[in-house]
Amino acid sequence: MERFLVIGERIHCISPVIRQAIADRNSAPILQRAKEQLDAGAVYLDLNIGPAERDGEEVMAWAVRLLQENFDNVPLCLDTANKKAIESGIKVYNRSKGKPIINSADAGPRLGLLEVAAANDAMAIALCAKEGIPTGVEERIMYCTEMLEKAMTLGIDPMDLLFDPLFLVIKGMQDKAQEVLETIRQITEMGLRSNAGLSNVSNGAPKHVRPIIDATYCAMAMQCGLTAAIVNPCDPRLMETIKTCDMIKGNMLYADSYLEL
Amino acid sequence: MAFKTSVQKYSGNVCNLELGTGEKKISLGGQNVIPFYSFDGDTGSGAKIGLEILDIYPDNWVDELKNLYGSAANNAAEWARLVEEKYSPDFICLRLVGADPNGLNKSVEECAALAIEVAKAVKLPLVIAGTQNHEKDLKLFEKVAEVLEGYNVLLLAAVEENYKTIAAAGVTAYKHKVAAESSVDINLAKQLNILINQLEVKSENIVMHVGSAAVGYGFEYVASTIDRIRLAALGQNDKTLQMPIITPVSFDTWNVKEGASTIEDTPEWGDQTERGIAMEISTAVGVIAAGSDAVILRHPRSAQTIRAFLGKLI
Repeated sequence: MERFLVIGERIHCISPVIRQAIADRNSAPILQRAKEQLDAGAVYLDLNIGPAERDGEEVMAWAVRLLQENFDNVPLCLDTANKKAIESGIKVYNRSKGKPIINSADAGPRLGLLEVAAANDAMAIALCAKEGIPTGVEERIMYCTEMLEKAMTLGIDPMDLLFDPLFLVIKGMQDKAQEVLETIRQITEMGLRSNAGLSNVSNGAPKHVRPIIDATYCAMAMQCGLTAAIVNPCDPRLMETIKTCDMIKGNMLYADSYLEL
Repeated sequence: MAFKTSVQKYSGNVCNLELGTGEKKISLGGQNVIPFYSFDGDTGSGAKIGLEILDIYPDNWVDELKNLYGSAANNAAEWARLVEEKYSPDFICLRLVGADPNGLNKSVEECAALAIEVAKAVKLPLVIAGTQNHEKDLKLFEKVAEVLEGYNVLLLAAVEENYKTIAAAGVTAYKHKVAAESSVDINLAKQLNILINQLEVKSENIVMHVGSAAVGYGFEYVASTIDRIRLAALGQNDKTLQMPIITPVSFDTWNVKEGASTIEDTPEWGDQTERGIAMEISTAVGVIAAGSDAVILRHPRSAQTIRAFLGKLI
């Protein structure tokens, strides 16, 4: 089995530092966060430029070039609702280290992003949602199959899709936690890959508790077959947990120093 | 419908490592498929064959070999030259058995002086094998690495007890290659590679010696360890196991009873040399098929047979 795919989440326009850096085209804060995440073990970096309705195309191309030129063509997750911005990012993207991942399509208004993925030989995160929060496992799986069918008619390799069952915050939606895990199990049984937007789950919990919830939930999801997650790789507890799960699952060979890799 | 060959693609590949200098330098590794699967991808440099010589006269070797090498075996440099001219292996393995504290216990200076003579006598790449005494090897390799600076030799081998000095002196200071030796255990092989990598020694400068045994003597463990290491390197893209593998076949095969027992002791087994060669060939073929990138052999006829075997398969 392949190792778990860690996608670093920290270049996100919700952070004031990053938002400002994008607005000013100031590379330093973005490069610094990229380096921290890669040093901590991220494989892909998520590049979230927000809705970017005004200058998205220019921003995305600038940021893709910036990151890939400075970090040996690091593979990226292009994260925006702006379709044109994604296309402009892919246009300058170097795929020697991995295909670009579009973050994200869904079964509703963003279904069209699958066409962008197909037209550009890109991977895509496929959110198992249409409008609002899906009510249960069945509804999630229904969206999953809808998107799978659509993707296959477009000629996308199913292995290029990361199905995201929509991870929900525990504090407030505790009863959904098991549904998400069950959905991953069923996605895995279909032979498909999956992704988690993991940091959602511990939102609102005390700061010292969050890494514990994130790491434990991630371990449980990995046992259900989860193959990728967008996470904060600078959280050592989470990264140690992911490596240990990978090792126990046989995705990585044991050596005494396995945590240092 | 046209027949479409299915191809097994792997995400990882074995590092390409260079040994020696000049026209006769060789490459080890470089493949991204399992051995001989040329229909799946790049088989890299293919297995390389080395012949073993000693720093002292080979009293324990079979008479047939002593006769074959004659007086050249009294002087390692002359011996090396003879091997290069007459048998043209891919590399020569100079084994410094005379340094063994339980034997002649020759000084490291004496061994180093001999090593440089050998290096000057031939153009072939050299593998320098130690005594397998961890403390002596540490001093021995440190000195040998120093005098052989510029020859880009392989130091065989560093173990967990002495890797720091051998890797630091051998690779960092004098730009040689180091063999990381573990005892037929994939997790230990990986661990030692990680430790050497942590000394800032790149994987391109490391060869693995993952343990060896003669066929019939726990050989299945050796073959399956090599096999699993290759699958982890290629299939899981495990960067810590992507170094080429060397197997000193002759170090074992001539010591087990099939290779060591004389015709007087076991007349029913037939000629001792023939047995030794058969053991050497069987073992070498096994480790090469499992994924070894280089083998060390003793008898030129074994080397010739393995070369013919490789030529037929590739």
